[in-house]
Amino acid sequence: MTAIPAYAELQVTSNYSFLRGASHPEELVATAATLGLQAIALTDRNSVSGVVRAHVAAKRAGVRLIVGARLDLQDAPGLLCYPGDRAAYGRLCRLLTTGKRRAPKGECWLALDDILGGGDFAQGAGQIVAAVPPPKPDAAFARVLKDLRGVLGDRFHLAVSKLYRGDDNERAAALARLAHDCRVRLLATNDVHAHAPERRPLQDVLTCIREGCTVDEAGYRLFANAERHLKGPAEMTRLFVDLPQAIANTVAVAEACTFSLDELRYEYPVDPVPDGATPQRHLERLTRQGAARRYPAGVPAKVEKQLAHELALIGEFGFAPYFLTVHDIVRFADSRDILCQGRGSAANSAVCYCLGITAVDPNRIDVLFERFVSAARGEPPDIDVDFENGRREEVIQYIYEKYGRDRAGMTATVITYRSKSAIREVGKAMGISEDTIVALQGVAWRRHWSDIADDDIRDAGLDPAEPTLRRVMALAGALRGFPRHLSQHTGGMVMTRSRLSEVVPIANAAMEDRTVIEWDKDDLDALGILKIDVLALGMLTCVHKCFDAIARHHRRAVTLATVPAEDSAVYDMLCRADSVGVFQVESRAQMSMLPRLRPRSFYDLVIEVAIVRPGPIQGDMVHPYLRRRRGEEPVDYPSAELERVLGKTLGIPLFQEQAMKIAIVAAGFTPAEADALRRALATFRHVGDIAQFRQRFVGGMLKNGYDEDFAGRCFRQIEGFADYGFPESHAASFALIVYVSAWLKCHYPAAFACGLLNSQPMGFYAPAQIVRDAREHGVEVRPADVNVSLWDCTLERTDAGAIALRLGLRQIKGLREADGRRIVALRGPGYRDVADIHRRARVGKAALEKLARADACRSLDLSRRSALWAVRGLDDIAPLPLFARADETPEPAVALPAMTPGEDVADDYRALALSLKAHPVQLLRAELAAAGFVPCARLLSIADGARVKVGGLVITRQRPGSANGVVFVTLEDETGVANLIVWPDTFERYRREGIGAALLGVAGRLQREGRVIHVVAERLLDLTPLLGRLEADAAPGAAGAAGPPLPVEVRDFH
Amino acid sequence: MTRRVVSLSLPSFATDRLGRRLAAADRRSGKAAATIDWRSRPLATVTARNGGLRLAAVNRAAAVAGAAPGLPLADSRALVPSLFTADDDPAGDRRALEKLAEWCGRYTPWTAADETAGIWLDVSGCAHLFGGERALLVDLAARLGRLGLDAAVAGADTPGAAWAVARFAAADEDGIAVVPAGGAADALAPLPMAGLRLPAAVVEGLARMGLRRIGELMALPRAPLVRRFGDIIVERLDQALGRVREPLSPSRPPAPVRAHLSFTEPVAAADVIAAAVRRLLETVCGQLAKAHQGARRLDLVLYRVDGTLARAAVGTSRPVREPDHLERLLREKLAGLDAGFGVEVVALAVAEAVPLLPAQIATETAPRGGDDDVARLIDRLGNRLGADRVVGLEPVASHLPERACREVAAAARKPSAPLPDKPRPVHLLPWPEPIEAIAPVPDSPPVMFRWRRRAHRVARADGPERICPEWWRETGEIDTGDKRLRDYYRIEDSDGGRFWLFREGPYRAGARPRWYLHGFFP
Repeated sequence: MTAIPAYAELQVTSNYSFLRGASHPEELVATAATLGLQAIALTDRNSVSGVVRAHVAAKRAGVRLIVGARLDLQDAPGLLCYPGDRAAYGRLCRLLTTGKRRAPKGECWLALDDILGGGDFAQGAGQIVAAVPPPKPDAAFARVLKDLRGVLGDRFHLAVSKLYRGDDNERAAALARLAHDCRVRLLATNDVHAHAPERRPLQDVLTCIREGCTVDEAGYRLFANAERHLKGPAEMTRLFVDLPQAIANTVAVAEACTFSLDELRYEYPVDPVPDGATPQRHLERLTRQGAARRYPAGVPAKVEKQLAHELALIGEFGFAPYFLTVHDIVRFADSRDILCQGRGSAANSAVCYCLGITAVDPNRIDVLFERFVSAARGEPPDIDVDFENGRREEVIQYIYEKYGRDRAGMTATVITYRSKSAIREVGKAMGISEDTIVALQGVAWRRHWSDIADDDIRDAGLDPAEPTLRRVMALAGALRGFPRHLSQHTGGMVMTRSRLSEVVPIANAAMEDRTVIEWDKDDLDALGILKIDVLALGMLTCVHKCFDAIARHHRRAVTLATVPAEDSAVYDMLCRADSVGVFQVESRAQMSMLPRLRPRSFYDLVIEVAIVRPGPIQGDMVHPYLRRRRGEEPVDYPSAELERVLGKTLGIPLFQEQAMKIAIVAAGFTPAEADALRRALATFRHVGDIAQFRQRFVGGMLKNGYDEDFAGRCFRQIEGFADYGFPESHAASFALIVYVSAWLKCHYPAAFACGLLNSQPMGFYAPAQIVRDAREHGVEVRPADVNVSLWDCTLERTDAGAIALRLGLRQIKGLREADGRRIVALRGPGYRDVADIHRRARVGKAALEKLARADACRSLDLSRRSALWAVRGLDDIAPLPLFARADETPEPAVALPAMTPGEDVADDYRALALSLKAHPVQLLRAELAAAGFVPCARLLSIADGARVKVGGLVITRQRPGSANGVVFVTLEDETGVANLIVWPDTFERYRREGIGAALLGVAGRLQREGRVIHVVAERLLDLTPLLGRLEADAAPGAAGAAGPPLPVEVRDFH
Repeated sequence: MTRRVVSLSLPSFATDRLGRRLAAADRRSGKAAATIDWRSRPLATVTARNGGLRLAAVNRAAAVAGAAPGLPLADSRALVPSLFTADDDPAGDRRALEKLAEWCGRYTPWTAADETAGIWLDVSGCAHLFGGERALLVDLAARLGRLGLDAAVAGADTPGAAWAVARFAAADEDGIAVVPAGGAADALAPLPMAGLRLPAAVVEGLARMGLRRIGELMALPRAPLVRRFGDIIVERLDQALGRVREPLSPSRPPAPVRAHLSFTEPVAAADVIAAAVRRLLETVCGQLAKAHQGARRLDLVLYRVDGTLARAAVGTSRPVREPDHLERLLREKLAGLDAGFGVEVVALAVAEAVPLLPAQIATETAPRGGDDDVARLIDRLGNRLGADRVVGLEPVASHLPERACREVAAAARKPSAPLPDKPRPVHLLPWPEPIEAIAPVPDSPPVMFRWRRRAHRVARADGPERICPEWWRETGEIDTGDKRLRDYYRIEDSDGGRFWLFREGPYRAGARPRWYLHGFFP
């Protein structure tokens, strides 16, 4: 027996050819290594989006990866491309960019002419190409072969496969003759679509999803057999016993392709520096200037020392151009008056503070620059900057403009199949009924995938033993995690010095004027390519609006940096949990934490932000911290070395850095290993690894003398951090915005409410609660009116000299902004009547009806109904102003029934989602009281543990992932709010009430902890029918005629 | 004679029908009818909407338990665990309602199903036959109750008033509501606006003005109302109050293409009726030609002088609008129709039409199309033997040879699925027959094989073509089924006979492969 010849598989379709390949790149690469292939190429369709994963996996498995792509031409058979060197790879990326930029999102339009014609794709020595023959190779194909051979020379090949089609040998012989005639080399491939034949069912299901049919209907669209999987050299040699040269040629191609993704040396773009200085020198100069601005009284010594340290490190790694880039973006935002603030680890940098990238004074927190720029890791820093929500696009477009579409692009996000979508798509392909799909999705929604048991399926009314059902679940399990399409990352921008389109293909995004690269943040991370996160934050918009309003109405100029620090009135307010609208700390969980933690300083806010997170909660760190803070438990440290790590937080790890440090200091991890642990947890890619890490972590801590319970909690906390990590610096950036927004709310409640309303949708509360909160703080709120309101909410001076909040036309549901703004712009001295608005503002009847329904015509002396009557009576098309009033005959006066207060409030809610006239529950109070329901405000004076009944409008429902299925519901009545805790079994029992009720009643037990009051629900009652009573006086027995029941805006959070 | 109209409201018709079906099934299966009282069980019909299943209709028992139309099925199950559901069937409900309207013909010939699960009966001048209107209504309500239908019945001067009262007013002690002659306005005034059968948008618009009861509308000046809500508002009011007459249109949904012929005197002679049919066919075919359509189904109705009907229906295998062909089909049916005491009206309707492009009229000398002749034959055979008894083969897209075609009714054959692009035998055995074969392995065709005790020496062979079983049809353990994959070979033996053989299962060293013969090539 002779030695088995070597073989490289060069036609491989992974699942990054969406709905075509049935295996992950990692699976393909690992299998190639097991089979002993010389090399494996990845040739996804018009894409290299899977190659980085394959590259990383290939390095781990020890097999050569050939980066490639399959070009699907529109007018010729497909071409497999194997760039042999860096230059050829760049030309491939550029060609793909060309094809993608001329096509809509997700497509790539390339034609034969793009290769034969003027472009440089085929030039140069490196580009190796193989043609994929069509089902019936004909004369036209032979012509194409000859043409391509003309430009590509002997780097051009013809792929031939033996797929058990019945005529394999005949076909291979014909292709061999054709190759000979055209002087093209044959290349054996197996047209691989999966790493193993067992993937055939999934392959068929993918085909069905792609074609939108069921397996029964799919017919010849499915592959006839499972032969398109990776095969070893022996098997391939046996199949190609008649064409040994085709096998040998694969090895030749593999040897010629020396390109590896490791060669992609990333270079920061370098902005031109004035006076011929080096970027480092320029950065130092800018930093010094900034420091002088930040510290007019002189730079504190601590900061001075920090700056010198940071600048030295930046110089050592050559990061200066990167800092200059970010500085330039921030400067641009500044010049356009767009508020921004660096978040995340950038706040660990005094340089960033001096450059104006961050706003947290390094004097106020302990900065840990090494967390930001790690000398050990040698990795580039990661700067995330938040911009005002509405204006971030300007910043993104500035970056595109500055660097050009060829040098800047947005990071991609790979959207993958989740449990629910996988069940839906597989279920449809398998032809199971809609209600079965819904039932299975329900099971997957309640359980983690790996925890789904037969009993769960039986509980859903299905038979787990039924073969189709078992197949659906098995296939959906395999489909989970498959990529389905590329989307854009929320804000990650990549910029390069040379052409980005020669590093990675760039495509159009669904959004206009956005271009996206093919790789996601993990890919960029793996290759050490740097991105800047240009993020959007609604609260910055609100804060900006507040600053403007304060400047206008109070003649006081404030900025993020000049808001007075450590104002005790602000902390007093927060300790009362009086935080509706305040950034971050307005959530239910934060509100119940505030009175317990009682923040008195900025650093307390940093802790407040970080503590109500999955990490500390899952790690069970919250209560120990609170006990120590209140002095109920001694502050001690497990060891002296951990005292250094945990000193700031009373011995309890609360921040991500601390958890990482514990891994290093106490469990004996190297910094790189600690980081690997964090990443492994964050991506969930190697589930098996986590158990190993856990063993090492806990084992390491035990060896160093820590107790097992503490070690286990620390690890659980790291698990929690991995997904929602909050490093200290990040918490500090957020804490600053918490402080600023709290300061605004405390001192300028009208301006703050106004800013919030004008920045909607944002935050936890609907306008109704924001308005209600403002009124509780003594702000007069005035109704929206056609003759007074602007589009936005505004501030007005009252006769008494106070500041009142005037609702804007934007509060009117369904009113288009263009219509609203035209009504304001053309108002002149004011409108006389609705016909006048119709005529002058040229606003349609539908829009006018919305105004009338919102009761916004009071200044025209029209009640809601009479305004509506008038609008309905208008002609459909507004007459031209000149001909106005020509043919108007007076109508007989009509007396419409007057509205009851209940009807008035109900209609307010319908049109505005709030009412200034009364609270709906107030009008139902008598009935509620008769049924034993107490007002929310009474809860303050009821004893702990007492049974109570309260009822109110549901304003938020929350089921946090960290709370084991507990649902938190907030009710509101005319006296205040009640916070409910609904345990999972109670919620399941009263599911319909819990989800369906707009007006919810609850019977339960009062639970009091200091100022924090909860009602633990025992019974939920749907009181929604009572809301119908609001209008009952007007129409007894005429249910349904009054329109939909009162619409209450409920905000759901998961 | 004053007009009197009865309106019948069947609010839970869909679920009542479901209950009747279930009870009938119980009876058939021999259960005592009393074991399950389906009427008192919560029932609902279900429809797929907004990506989920929702209740379409509920019966009284389900409504009492809290289920309501529009509620997601999953929620309603939680709410009413004993809820029995079935898919909704609006078309079936409609047909059943039409049938019920015909059944109401026992009281008056003028019955019509309305748009809202209700029926109108014009009982003007015939109530005395049942002992007066009240007695008629009581009898009707009682009979409906025995049929298992929840019904409200009301009588009034106008269809509109009767409709509103049946739905929105309380019934009296007899379970019915009678509005005395001339009393429509008083009866309507307290009823909600929806009683006027106005579009939902108009009802809602009026409610926003605070106008919720019909009486409030009566008091208002009309011109401003019309300006704001259109003519419909006063039209409905006037109809309900009897100021304008609202005719009731007869049941049965009208077919788009139809024609009828009335005789001046009742006719019984078959040839006269046949001639009338011929004229109607010409009219109908002319209409079809104008609409670029062809008939797939025709309904012929003879209205006999005694008020009864005789019906016949014919179907065609392809769209047709040639009177000759259709006449041949109808003539065979006409022979079986009884003209009774004479026919007053002959009506012909195209019950189903599909697009058919204009065809060039053939000249005398042009050969007649073979396809057309076959189609004509199929039609005639089908109309005589039953359309489903004349069958043809239709390709099915499947890699598995035995699944790649199926028998279907010849008249129902659709444009065919694609044929396989691989060579397939002309004659496929009903099931593969085991053979003995000698083959050098693996992946090699046999050099000789023995089938039905005769040895064949292989002269030429091609293959293999590998076909895997359809894993989703496997009933056993979930696997890919590739243990039973087939490697097919095309074989020519030394006598020139051509065969299709396969080996089952992948090659395994040591294991004896199983070979089969599956078909013959010409």
